[in-house]
Amino acid sequence: MYRYDEFDHQMVQDRVEQFRDQVNRRISGEITEDAFKPLRLMNGVYLQLHAYMLRVAIPYGTLSGSQMRKLAHIAREYDRGYGHFTTRQNIQYNWPSLDRIPDLLNELAEVEMHAIQTSGNCIRNVTSDQYAGAIANEVEDPRIISEVIRQWSTFHPEFSFLPRKFKIAVTGHENDRAAIRFHDIGIVIKQNDQGEVGYEVHVGGGLGRTPFIAKKIGDFVPAEKLLAYLEAVMRVYNMLGRRDNSYKARIKILVHEIGEAEMRRLVEEEFTKIDARDVLSLPHAELNRIAAYFAPPAFEVLSAPFEIFEAAKASNSAFADWVENNVVEHRQEGYAIVNISLKPIGGIPGDATDVQMDALADMAANYSFDEIRVTHQQNLVLPHVRQEDLPALFVQLQETELATPNIGLISDQIACPGLDYCNLANARSIPIAQEISTRFEDLKQQSNIGDLSIKISGCINACGHHHIGNIGILGVDKKGTEFYQLSLGGSHDENAALGDITGPAFTSEQVVGAVENIVDSYLQLRTDDEPFIDTYRRVGMAPFKERLYANV
Amino acid sequence: MSKHLIRMENEQAVIVQDGWAFIDDDEPLTGDRAVISLTRLLESKEDLAQFKGQLGLVLRAGTKQGEDIRDIQSKLDNLAIIMIEFPVYRNGRGFSSARILRDELGFKGEIRAIGDVLFDQLLFMKRCGINAYEVETSLTLEKFNKATSAFSDGYQPAADSLRGILWNRS
Amino acid sequence: MAQHVSKGARFQAVTANRLSDGEVIYFAGDNGWTENFQTAKIADGAEASKELLQAAMTDDFELLLLEPYLFEVIDAGNANFNPASVREVIRAAGPTIRLDLGKQAEA
Repeated sequence: MYRYDEFDHQMVQDRVEQFRDQVNRRISGEITEDAFKPLRLMNGVYLQLHAYMLRVAIPYGTLSGSQMRKLAHIAREYDRGYGHFTTRQNIQYNWPSLDRIPDLLNELAEVEMHAIQTSGNCIRNVTSDQYAGAIANEVEDPRIISEVIRQWSTFHPEFSFLPRKFKIAVTGHENDRAAIRFHDIGIVIKQNDQGEVGYEVHVGGGLGRTPFIAKKIGDFVPAEKLLAYLEAVMRVYNMLGRRDNSYKARIKILVHEIGEAEMRRLVEEEFTKIDARDVLSLPHAELNRIAAYFAPPAFEVLSAPFEIFEAAKASNSAFADWVENNVVEHRQEGYAIVNISLKPIGGIPGDATDVQMDALADMAANYSFDEIRVTHQQNLVLPHVRQEDLPALFVQLQETELATPNIGLISDQIACPGLDYCNLANARSIPIAQEISTRFEDLKQQSNIGDLSIKISGCINACGHHHIGNIGILGVDKKGTEFYQLSLGGSHDENAALGDITGPAFTSEQVVGAVENIVDSYLQLRTDDEPFIDTYRRVGMAPFKERLYANV
Repeated sequence: MSKHLIRMENEQAVIVQDGWAFIDDDEPLTGDRAVISLTRLLESKEDLAQFKGQLGLVLRAGTKQGEDIRDIQSKLDNLAIIMIEFPVYRNGRGFSSARILRDELGFKGEIRAIGDVLFDQLLFMKRCGINAYEVETSLTLEKFNKATSAFSDGYQPAADSLRGILWNRS
Repeated sequence: MAQHVSKGARFQAVTANRLSDGEVIYFAGDNGWTENFQTAKIADGAEASKELLQAAMTDDFELLLLEPYLFEVIDAGNANFNPASVREVIRAAGPTIRLDLGKQAEA
């Protein structure tokens, strides 16, 4: 993974000192909250219901063991002993003190981490595929270009006061695990017939109040031109994006208002001007230098049979279940991609304690070439584990309550922090997730149901990605009471789709029963072993709606 | 809140007096330094040709839409100063306008930031080619220099002399 | 936030977050600011509420806190009041899914 050089270290250090100075000026009263707020946001510091919240960046969801260890230490020393992994591959702390945050950031800088641009109207964390570098049939490791984009977008003087936030995601695989079509800029890495690599650029995706699927405007941008192309998109947005209404200020609104063709034309025009000056042509030497950091680790040459692994599967049904649901085939023979569920039955989705984080750091060091990934679904991944080590790893995961075998199943839900934590929320989301999880705790039942994504947001800002859940749940406030609106048929991947609202909202007492009704309907309607999403696409909303509102 | 003007002269920040006067669209041009609107610059030719003084433009950021600096591309040679408005600090259109002026249109005159200009935006403005700043008097020269030296380098090229870390490494 | 704008609210209190650590605090009138909702000053009626918020926003209030606002409370009898909205109930207590955190844990 990427390692800072002295330039990167200096930039982060400069930023920590700048923020320390800003905090001091706020505390002394030299600047008002109004002037301070955009500054603290650009350093990932939010005000939530009970306290500040700090969002630490985990670039393209990749962490080393020592970084995870530092995150555990931060949770212990600066917070209340836990952290929350988010749908943008970052981590959030819910109880930091403003006056200690500069010290906290200093500590993060020691392990090449920061909270730069994790909030505010600027370019945010570039997210990517959690299986990058480990999955077969990847065109190119998407983290390479993600790192390039990360650097180019950091402290960009022209794009730090955009109309609204700006999110970029990259995938290097035809299976889009990074939900690129729901980002302001989404990039798919492609290969042409000559074997050359190019970047397909989509623009204007997003969730929230007005969800949109992104439009493709750049078909095959070569690597050395990509930054110029992105700069063109950003400049068009910065100039034309609306600043009169914050609900209409994202680039998705601009694309919707002027149309895909016009957007493409404007970007091409701007790109031509920028490219003519040649200053953003990325040198191959630098691209190669960065790419080298993402070279495959020193895999052993292994071949079947993998006897320890096979024996454990045969004799330990818990292990077998866990392998079935959580372990994914690796591109390298004898290795495996291990998904770690942060969705224990009845637990808080995405949370990990400092003890768990320390344990994960050890496991990464011992079993996964010291590397961990964070997923968009609030889970973690150990990307490169030898199959023969899986039984021993499983035992350690069980000991730290990280072995729930539910990846992709109904209890593997996404839930935003919701009204338990968040200033923007209309309703709580975590208790709903907990109840659903408990209702469906039986693994046999879950396996029978199969792949089904439930995504829960506590408000229309959609941090829980409810629009793109197979079942989406949106918390709404009706006269001070929490209600929940359901949607069906959302999908975050390359078959991108926004869910359809079922009808009137449900109370918190009714919503879990409503989910059960949906699942029952699915089980009755499905043919062969089609997953929920396929059944929905085949039969449509009508039968589900009928069942849901039968007694109303 | 009173303001003063800080300008970069020979790479040094200095406090200077301002000699420019904004003339409303329906007022005749007087004095030897007149700042006018983009509309006037584009539309009234006669007026301008007769004016013997120096001419400047104020570029409005707008809300829903802003003024486009490229509209007056052909008139740039007539302008000694362009004042880029930041009506509220959140409205960052001016950063792009400044860069286009320097990078693409090759404007060599003064580009001045006016409006809601915050301490913590100064370095970004400087990197985008703005070389004069109308700020509150509480923003002293010392503070200005501190703000603009917060970072010793930059990752990306802009309208200043930094090549960009991504390029310097090669 | 939509939650704390209540049309026709009779009783209201003022809350904010402490600058240093973000802790939820309530305006207690002459007694300054308190962490405990039970000792918050309650205003009766729109006029009194407006005055209460003004009283809370002294010249240097930003040195202590941020984002002060009025929120509705309900008379629970016996000179007791409760926050009217779920949001403010949660703010006064702590996250409902972690009873070991927030003010509720210190009680």
